[in-house]
Amino acid sequence: MVDLHTDWLGLRLRSPLVVGASPLTRTVEDALRLSDAGAGAVVLASVFEEQIVAEQLGMHRFIDSHVDTDAEARSFLPDTDVVPIGPAPTLRRLQALRAALDIPVVASLNGITPGGWTDLARQLADAGADALELNLYEPPTTLQATSAEIETRQIDTVAAVVAAASGIPVTVKLSPFYAGLPAFAAHLAAAGAAGLVLFNRFYQPDIDLDTLDVDRRLTPSTSAELPLRLHALAVLHGHVGLQLGATGGVHTGLDAAKAILCGATTVQLVSALLDDGPAALARIIRELTGWLDAHHYRSSHDACGATDLSNVADPTAWERLNYARILESWKPARTRR
Amino acid sequence: MSIDTAASAAAAQHRPPPAGHEMALVTVDANEAVASVAYRLSEVVAIYPITPASPMGEHADEWSARQRPNLWGTVPQVVEMQSEAGAAGAVHGALQGGALVTTFTASQGLLLMLPNLYKIAGELTACCIHVAARSIATHALSIFGDHSDVMAARATGWALLASGSPQEAHDLAAIGHAATLATRIPFLHFFDGFRTSHELQKIGSLDDNTLTALVDAEAVEAHRTRAMNPERPVARGTSQNPDAFFQGREATNPFYDRCPDVVADTMRHFAALTGRRYQLFDYVGHPEAERVLVMMGSGAECAHETVDALLARGERVGLVKVRLYRPFAMGAFHAALPASVRSLAVLDRTKEPGATGEPLLLDVTAALAHAVTTGTRAALPRIIGGRYGLGSKELTPAMVKAAFDELDAERPRTRFTLGINDDVTGLSLPVDEEFGAEPPGVSRAVFYGLGSDGTVSANKATIKIIGDATAQACQGYFVYDSKKAGSTTVSHLRFGPAPIRSTYQIRRAGFLAVHDPGFLDRFDVLDRAEQGATVLLNTTVPPEQVWAGLPREVQQTLLQRDCRLFVIDAYRLADEHGLGRRINTVMQACFFALSNVLPVDEAFTRMKQAVTATWGRRGSEIVRRNTAAIDAAVAALHQIPIPDTVDATKTRPPAVPADAPDFVQRVTRLLLEGHGDRLPVSAFPPDGTWPTGTSKFEKRAIALDLPIWEPDLCVQCNRCSMICPHTAIRTKVFQPDDAAAAPATFRSVPEGFTPELEGLAFTVQVAPDDCTGCGLCVEVCPGKDRTQPRRKALNLQPAAEHRTSEREAFDFYQQIPDVSRTRIPRTRSGIALLEPLFEFCGACAGCGETPYLRLLTQLVGDRLLIANATGCSSIYGGNLPTSPYTTDADGRGPAWNNSLFEDNAEFGLGLRLGADTLARRAHALLERLAGQLPADLVRELTGPCPTGDDAAIGARRAAVTRLRALLADIDGGDRLARCADALVPRSVWLVGGDGWAYDIGYGGLDHVLASGRNVNVLVLDTEVYSNTGGQQSKATPLGAVAKFASAGKETSKKDLGLLAMSYGHVYVASIAMQSHTPQTLTALQEAESYPGPSLVIAHSPCIAHGYDLVNAPAQQRRAVGSGAWPLYRFDPRRIETGQSPLVVDADPVTVPLRDYLEQEARFRMVELADPERYERLVGAGENAIARRHALYQQLAAVHLPTQED
Repeated sequence: MVDLHTDWLGLRLRSPLVVGASPLTRTVEDALRLSDAGAGAVVLASVFEEQIVAEQLGMHRFIDSHVDTDAEARSFLPDTDVVPIGPAPTLRRLQALRAALDIPVVASLNGITPGGWTDLARQLADAGADALELNLYEPPTTLQATSAEIETRQIDTVAAVVAAASGIPVTVKLSPFYAGLPAFAAHLAAAGAAGLVLFNRFYQPDIDLDTLDVDRRLTPSTSAELPLRLHALAVLHGHVGLQLGATGGVHTGLDAAKAILCGATTVQLVSALLDDGPAALARIIRELTGWLDAHHYRSSHDACGATDLSNVADPTAWERLNYARILESWKPARTRR
Repeated sequence: MSIDTAASAAAAQHRPPPAGHEMALVTVDANEAVASVAYRLSEVVAIYPITPASPMGEHADEWSARQRPNLWGTVPQVVEMQSEAGAAGAVHGALQGGALVTTFTASQGLLLMLPNLYKIAGELTACCIHVAARSIATHALSIFGDHSDVMAARATGWALLASGSPQEAHDLAAIGHAATLATRIPFLHFFDGFRTSHELQKIGSLDDNTLTALVDAEAVEAHRTRAMNPERPVARGTSQNPDAFFQGREATNPFYDRCPDVVADTMRHFAALTGRRYQLFDYVGHPEAERVLVMMGSGAECAHETVDALLARGERVGLVKVRLYRPFAMGAFHAALPASVRSLAVLDRTKEPGATGEPLLLDVTAALAHAVTTGTRAALPRIIGGRYGLGSKELTPAMVKAAFDELDAERPRTRFTLGINDDVTGLSLPVDEEFGAEPPGVSRAVFYGLGSDGTVSANKATIKIIGDATAQACQGYFVYDSKKAGSTTVSHLRFGPAPIRSTYQIRRAGFLAVHDPGFLDRFDVLDRAEQGATVLLNTTVPPEQVWAGLPREVQQTLLQRDCRLFVIDAYRLADEHGLGRRINTVMQACFFALSNVLPVDEAFTRMKQAVTATWGRRGSEIVRRNTAAIDAAVAALHQIPIPDTVDATKTRPPAVPADAPDFVQRVTRLLLEGHGDRLPVSAFPPDGTWPTGTSKFEKRAIALDLPIWEPDLCVQCNRCSMICPHTAIRTKVFQPDDAAAAPATFRSVPEGFTPELEGLAFTVQVAPDDCTGCGLCVEVCPGKDRTQPRRKALNLQPAAEHRTSEREAFDFYQQIPDVSRTRIPRTRSGIALLEPLFEFCGACAGCGETPYLRLLTQLVGDRLLIANATGCSSIYGGNLPTSPYTTDADGRGPAWNNSLFEDNAEFGLGLRLGADTLARRAHALLERLAGQLPADLVRELTGPCPTGDDAAIGARRAAVTRLRALLADIDGGDRLARCADALVPRSVWLVGGDGWAYDIGYGGLDHVLASGRNVNVLVLDTEVYSNTGGQQSKATPLGAVAKFASAGKETSKKDLGLLAMSYGHVYVASIAMQSHTPQTLTALQEAESYPGPSLVIAHSPCIAHGYDLVNAPAQQRRAVGSGAWPLYRFDPRRIETGQSPLVVDADPVTVPLRDYLEQEARFRMVELADPERYERLVGAGENAIARRHALYQQLAAVHLPTQED
């Protein structure tokens, strides 16, 4: 029998398959079903820096700015000492999951600037999170900030979250758009990060041709998105002191196997679970186990990194030269068979 | 006793408490000070919100929600009732049930309680209630303070206990609760509305031990034992015949006889516990005073300060402060009054027209006469009486001195008034304005702020900081105008070494802050600057350009008074720190940096502590931003050198245009400038009748951004003008020739979308000085530039760049003649082209109520009678200085009146009855004279006149004009001529909020609907008591947080529409104008044309919902789409055509309920506080919606038998 146990961020997981940050774990019941189906850990839905700040500023704006404005009304809503607001629901959900599940529960933050919001990292740690995932999702839109400035700020953000996280491990989830990903990863390690998750999905918005607005619909990932992750995993694995996780494009056990072979310690699943979560998770585990078994791996750990840049038979397949070869091998469609 | 000793004896009234009983010092207003005592000494609190007493009930509600126990370890039950009458009934019942009970009220609320007050006293029931004394509405409503309410209760048999300051209110509240238990006489403790209820002072607080020691535990048990109890049954509340009633009434005498002594004992006991001494009548002044005043309430504090100042000048004056007014203890009064008194002035803060004198004067006179009769006193002193302070009119030391001066006169006026200029009956005393009595060593600061910029909150924090950090006494008083958008606040702060008794606004301040530069153009703000004052101005103008940009008057004052001027661009600083327009922390930091009341470092440390304490609960980011703003403030502060000469060419613009009518020039202008106090009595209409159409003269220019029209993109949908809450963006069609002489700034295009209007020109025009910049017009604008979709047909642009040109354009717009109403189609877009007769009101930016009213005036404004329930709509609709209801070119427009909160339906029905009476009289006279009039004219005037048809109305009016001309030559025709207007149908609308329609006025509304009379009811449903600050009503939806429902309302919103439908003869509609305008239009027209009662319930977005109202249209769509707000019309006329009377206009549920709820703080607060509860409430809400929807669908499918069937 293949052993799927995995050591990740100092946590012992019974499987490398982790439920990624999403509404999949919104309720304890849903999370329990996924845990029963074999999930190694769950990552909670991300709380955005902007969400935290907007929540605070929104209450400030819609409640406080109407205080003491009028002779007849000293305010328009009850005192919020009576109605506590803030991160409490997030913390309560975390606590409820932590109490109900016997697998690690990872809290997730999504932010890009060091600021007052990082205080939530401490509160999440205090509320029992086993680890924190910090998602550095940032599509730049201004001419002013250079890549170097953006990266420096992001590294400062990681350091701030690590400092706030009261000693629990912090893994950083990245987008694919870094010119110097290996070096950046090394800086993150220096800033205190314990792991990397590759890559968050850049939710490319579409255009609504009627309203001329941006259409914000979410498209689930497909296995076609996986190779981008495989490449990054293979390049980074063993080169930076960070444990790697794959996310985006894993829909089958074979996809998961590929990610592990390229160096992923854990493989996160979201799109694959959106329709029939626990059943899909069980299938993927079966497929992964079957493949590992068929290929004589005793454990997923044994397979981890077998095809990374250092171990793969032909390292140039992961390097620049590979590009030229692929182009050379291209033939027009009509000549293909 | 020397004068010095007299003064020190006066000061020694407040001795330090005995050792071991150190009282914590707290900085609070009287409402909080009183509520804290009443709450701890009660088990049941039954309340109903009313200004200025509402905060007491709110505090009790909050403490109860936090499970704070009372002295007996139980959490008081706080219950909000449907009216004060209901609250009083609940109080009476809870007392009879054996509980310790209190309530808080004022003004009309106290009047509604009167019947139960008689009952409670008649049954000798221990109870203490607290009244923030407020005017009773007479010729006008006033939310401000005087004693007319408590004086109306003086015959009830309740003891009346008066306080003059927050400290006294705190202490006498406790004494009242203790004394009522000891005497069984119920106590009404009162203090002046606003002046005391809302004044912040540092006071010594009463801890639980003190209260426990003060209250007789045995008396508490005796009270409980008197509870109705089937184990020991008794009957109370019997009805009695002539043989019994009178004696029973007299049987209470011994209780009243001993009451004053018990109160005096309680006061002595209190003094032993706390060191603070009170007597039934406290005397201050010269021990051998010759001239003495008798007063009660906050005015006595000002008089006390004046007496101290006059004593220092060697005058033999004194003051009797009445503490226990009823039962009036004649013996104690004599004991307090020095035997040396030659003349006595009794000052009453109330008016009893036609009486021989006001109540306190009569009581004092009777007491003195009684003393002479019994031989206690040899002769009467000279007694005169004056009125002062009605509706919070200021009482200053100069006015108090005027009363003393009058006592010195050879032939003093025996009846007089203080504080006004009565040039009609000559009752007012002349006042030496230069006289002041404030003791030395007091620091005074005045801040002019905008309601939304946080100035008042910051100043409250400042007072608490200084109160906590120093041994200084402190006082804060806050004055608000009655506007809800762009309101002005003036904060008056005093700090000093001795107790502050200056119960009047600051006249000269050493520190004066102007938090918005616009004030310099609107008010003489620097008038309050003393010589050498520090002036702080928030302005976006660069420091080097500030001086040159100041109005001439401001430069003059700065120079003449040798002021120091500092400026800061607090808007920029706040914006840079992500705080929007909340400049409060920045300006507060500047105050501490410039005023030196505390070492700056300490002040900043304490400010940051306060920021953390206040906003830490919001989250660390808010704290971080405010803290950073504090740190950045000092560096951004610049001192402006004051040159030697005034060089400005610009002067402060006139408050009203030069061509405004005479009344506006003489009266309205002074009110707008803040100089209403200078207006003499003769300036005022004696019956409270004011001209309408005056809001157009009040140019406030509060918008920072204005909507600017791009004609090339406009699709002429008129949604902008339809949604504008302030009628500040207008759309109009007109003859193109009428724009021939238009200035270049005025733009128009050919009307191009409505066939009936072909050949006309079309324009969209903003009123730049009336717009609030809420952005709703831009939000709903569908016109988009296809190459640049962000650019719409309306775009918000900086007001500073467009104000001048848009002013010119709007001036031109106003004089373009309207095309005939009959030419304009009553379609969704057409309706907005009708002339609105409701404009530029003071409602909140983004208000969801006002568009309904504007639309109503567009439909029927020229024949509209409005009965308006008290509430937001009566404030923005009828609060001086101006009226937003206006007239058309023929001088016709809505006639408006507000009777009360509780009686609006009955009042409106009365208007209908009155109008019908006049119409009947006109028809009767017409019938009598018919033989002398052309038959066609009589036919025209007696035939039907469909109210939805402007042509028919126009024809009827023409006929009336023709009739009048003929009547001039007919004997007896003048009687008909006088009432001929009544031949034109009138549209009677009863307007009010949900507090009125669902709660306090529901009984009357129900009755009026049942009456079958032709009245139309428009309920502006904000689902909460908006005007008094968000207390729940029965319209509050399930799951919403509101005051008195702070965990989220547990029960469903009352289905007012369904209740009305159950009559079968009532037209009922539920509408939502911002999202479903055509349905609104149809409903209002159907309601108006329906010949019986109509009820229209209008979804009205409100700031109390807790979201940005620019999103109200989308949010209203969610409300309707989720089924939370149903859209329907129930028209009994449909029954006769074989249809179901009910038409459901909303689509089936298309939006998940939670998508609607999560957008508003009132629901979101429940989700954040208690997710499980939220989920449960959402589930219950979905279920309730599904049930209602199913019920309505079935009702919409029923076929009822017609009359013929």
